[in-house]
Amino acid sequence: MAATQPTNTRLKVEFAVSLVLLAAVAALPAVVTNAYWQGVIIVSMYFAMLSIAWNLLAGDTGQFSLAPATFGMLGAYTTGLLSYYYGTGAAIGVPAAIIVSGGVGLLLGRIVLRLRGPYLALTTLSFAEIMRLVISNSIDFTRGDLGLNVPGIFQGRLPYYYLFVIVLLVTQIGLFYLLRSRAGLFLRAIRDDEIAAASRGVRIVYWKTFAFTLSAAISGLAGALYGHFAQFVSPELGLISQTGIVISMVVIGGLGTMVGPLAGALLVYVASEFLRDSGNWQLVIFSLLVIVFARFFRQGLWGILLSAFDRKPARPASPATATE
Amino acid sequence: MPCLAIKNVSKAFGGLKAIDNASFSIEAGELVGLIGPNGSGKTTLLNILSGHLSCDSGSVELDGKPITGLRPEVLARHGVLRMFQLTRSFPRMSAFDNLMVTGCALGLSQGDAEKRAMKLLEDLSLTRIMGLDAGQLSGGQMKLLEFGSCFMVPPRIALLDEPFAAVHPTLKEIMSGFIRSRHAEGQTFIVVSHDMPVVVELCPRSVCMNAGRVIADEATRTVLSDKVVIEAYLGEAAA
Repeated sequence: MAATQPTNTRLKVEFAVSLVLLAAVAALPAVVTNAYWQGVIIVSMYFAMLSIAWNLLAGDTGQFSLAPATFGMLGAYTTGLLSYYYGTGAAIGVPAAIIVSGGVGLLLGRIVLRLRGPYLALTTLSFAEIMRLVISNSIDFTRGDLGLNVPGIFQGRLPYYYLFVIVLLVTQIGLFYLLRSRAGLFLRAIRDDEIAAASRGVRIVYWKTFAFTLSAAISGLAGALYGHFAQFVSPELGLISQTGIVISMVVIGGLGTMVGPLAGALLVYVASEFLRDSGNWQLVIFSLLVIVFARFFRQGLWGILLSAFDRKPARPASPATATE
Repeated sequence: MPCLAIKNVSKAFGGLKAIDNASFSIEAGELVGLIGPNGSGKTTLLNILSGHLSCDSGSVELDGKPITGLRPEVLARHGVLRMFQLTRSFPRMSAFDNLMVTGCALGLSQGDAEKRAMKLLEDLSLTRIMGLDAGQLSGGQMKLLEFGSCFMVPPRIALLDEPFAAVHPTLKEIMSGFIRSRHAEGQTFIVVSHDMPVVVELCPRSVCMNAGRVIADEATRTVLSDKVVIEAYLGEAAA
């Protein structure tokens, strides 16, 4: 049946490549022994989680939200506040973060249900800014811009490193099975044409809310893990520039693919470390890259790679003749 | 009990009465043509029947149960499937997956949906292009694909809005042949079309609308020779 299911073949290839990529990341500490650079890769994996979550919403479901970093911040603050007030650790804080950010994502999803395109983007953007301002101004409750100290989980870098690798792996596996199931069909149908999807019986409200909730929950998980790794959370996690970085990662890597967000996050974040000395120029460079990619390479780096690969073998005149 | 009953439905856009107290009903297994000049309210009526618009007054019943005001996805699950005049497909999904969406959304298991999709693609001579994204298909193939999508699960009633418009004669023949054979098996249809020869050939009965009102509802040949209908299409002088 493989020949009859081009989408599933595409998914399988993307999934396999993303596993190879993760295996390479897992092997990196053998070469990268410097703790600082291991930390850089850990943070890039945090961004990879946010990118994967945002890609599920924007790339697969077509809901261009501008709040991925906000849900990361909510997750980080959930576990941060729990430990600050009740002295709980990650075992309670991380699941709570998933539930809280998923719940807020569900609410936001219901609110923006009938909004599309720029209206959706602007509403989620104002939501993001409101959340950040509320956290940074509720000084009595959250200590505002001072941030919160969060207890760590492990000693040393490597255990965190492999925790992030494992969480990324589990997320990718889960998404692979989700996207190849009927849910994947429905999400992509909503992305392509919501009215057509509704008229063919797809439960729009349910699946859009589902995508918002799941995406927010994954972001929240990422944020909580990041909080425990950095042992510190602050409202800066929810800055719009953080969302901008997430979007640029996905667009550069390849929107709507399983490889794109992962590869984009790793490449962009590690590259940004090299550009650190140039200060704000790194934002200028990434913005330019996003414009170039959005204009000329809609499929991102993954698309460029695929088309380079596609040209090599002589393809039959009609690509879809294999129908047994 | 009629399969679909439209009772005194009215819809106005501002001062324009798009549908003006329209009533007619369709028995199970009927193949009814819905004709009328441009702007007579045919598409608006289909939009109301398929849940894409709400009506100002009146009611619609499917098998005796009111369905007025239900959302499109709910109506689709009740078996009201609709094809749009301006083709709607999922351009970045393969033709095969386009059909799979409908099958799965209407409750088929993935295995069953796959089998039906393959059969439909074969019936509509689309097997060759099933791996292409719908956005890469020709206008006619895309229309045929959307048409096929309505029959992944035999609908209670299929609402086809201009299925033959701007379609290559060969594809048109595939479509009308498909409609004929499904009609013979008892499938109920409303077909909106400006293509009179096809309407005459396919539809035993036709409903003609003009300026939002139902002006004729009889056997198709009688409708077409009706003085009021000719007047509506060509103006008073011709009648």
